[in-house]
Amino acid sequence: MFDHIECFYRPQSVREALLLLRKVGKRGRILAGATDIVLQADRSTRFLVDITHVGLNYIRGNNRGCVLGATTTMAELEHSPVILALAGGILAKAAAACGSIQNRNMATVGGNLANASPAADTAAVLLALDAQVVAASSRRKRKITLADFYSGPHRTGLNGELLEEIVIPALPGGGRSGWAFQKLGRTETDISLVNVAAGLQADAKGRIKWARIALGAVGPTPLRARHAETLLLGNTINEDLLMRAGVAVMQEVNPISDGRASAEYRREMSAVLARRALRECATQAGVPAGSGA
Amino acid sequence: MRLLLKINGETKQWIIAPGDLLLDVLRREGYFGVKRGCETGECGACTVLVNGKPINSCLMFAAQTEGCEILTIEGVEQGGKLDSLQEAFLEYGAVQCGYCTPGMILSAKALLAEHPDPTEAEVREALAGNFCRCTGYLKPVEAVLAAARVYRTQKAKPQEGRTNQKEKRKRQKSKP
Repeated sequence: MFDHIECFYRPQSVREALLLLRKVGKRGRILAGATDIVLQADRSTRFLVDITHVGLNYIRGNNRGCVLGATTTMAELEHSPVILALAGGILAKAAAACGSIQNRNMATVGGNLANASPAADTAAVLLALDAQVVAASSRRKRKITLADFYSGPHRTGLNGELLEEIVIPALPGGGRSGWAFQKLGRTETDISLVNVAAGLQADAKGRIKWARIALGAVGPTPLRARHAETLLLGNTINEDLLMRAGVAVMQEVNPISDGRASAEYRREMSAVLARRALRECATQAGVPAGSGA
Repeated sequence: MRLLLKINGETKQWIIAPGDLLLDVLRREGYFGVKRGCETGECGACTVLVNGKPINSCLMFAAQTEGCEILTIEGVEQGGKLDSLQEAFLEYGAVQCGYCTPGMILSAKALLAEHPDPTEAEVREALAGNFCRCTGYLKPVEAVLAAARVYRTQKAKPQEGRTNQKEKRKRQKSKP
């Protein structure tokens, strides 16, 4: 099936990888966990550049946020104390939702973003965390916010560049905040029908200071529900507010129908999962919304 | 291209094509315990351990395993003696057609190496990537939990003969 591959490169440094990528051009493909690349079986690919030995396997946390090397695997994110302690552990939770253990041992966070599946579980979380990606070529290095990174299904702003690392900026401090990740899939290991990552912070009077809601698998790219976020500001969390936020989310998503679910179902579930996520956030923040569906 | 690796404790050097998948190379080299299933990373029949971690060999290029240590089901028995996991799968009737068994045992082996005393939920999660289309998961889960008990007693008491007997009697009793 891959008899069209002429060479498999195993660079030992980022610099070597970047020079190789320039040399092989469009017929080359960056390889990390391989799980998506094998399935896509793109026949135009002639050269594979395996970047798992270039030193991009790290998780660095400090008070200014966190930096993830592109080839950090889902399994490594799941168990990392830094990631488990970050934003209520939602990135660890999303990584643990990326298919079976076999696939999580191979799949990398950089690959999950660069493959640009609208359903990528870590993408929704990283979008909610206002993450940026560092894209490098042999000539330059630049930062792209994740919100600007995606241009469509399986399309990104990468222009022959290597996604080197992911930067998660420091989260707003001050307490009374909460984070949640919710996924709906047919089975434990199946791709998301809808996924939602959310976070919020309340002030001393229980009013929402900021809220973030990101959704996956319900549009051409992972997306932020900005209207729903704005609608929450300055209000105290209650079921009525959550219902209105859910309606706003439904208006912001743009799902398709496929073999797994209809667009209508995905739209409806976007609201349900967003409400569940916000309720979870509110409970963590110490301003629970009370009981309700 | 040349591929140098260690498989089931033996060092091997194979000639592979740069686009060869690990599953194809392993079967070509006679490791038929590595099963060809869905070939899309869903079913887990092709599971092998690479550096101790379960992966789907249908989704990995062979060239990625340069310098790695691979364990296939052929390497699980030691000197003609079955591993406690294999014994438990037989004992508990956890094998029907057997196609998913090598993958299940390897996933379970990786689990027990890290968690010698797993909960049932942890066993189920560890096996979530190994599909059985014959009968179900109850017996494999029971077998893994039983093997975990044997592993632990083996570790606690190096003179394992007796504890094995005890385990066996316990299992006989618990059978309907």
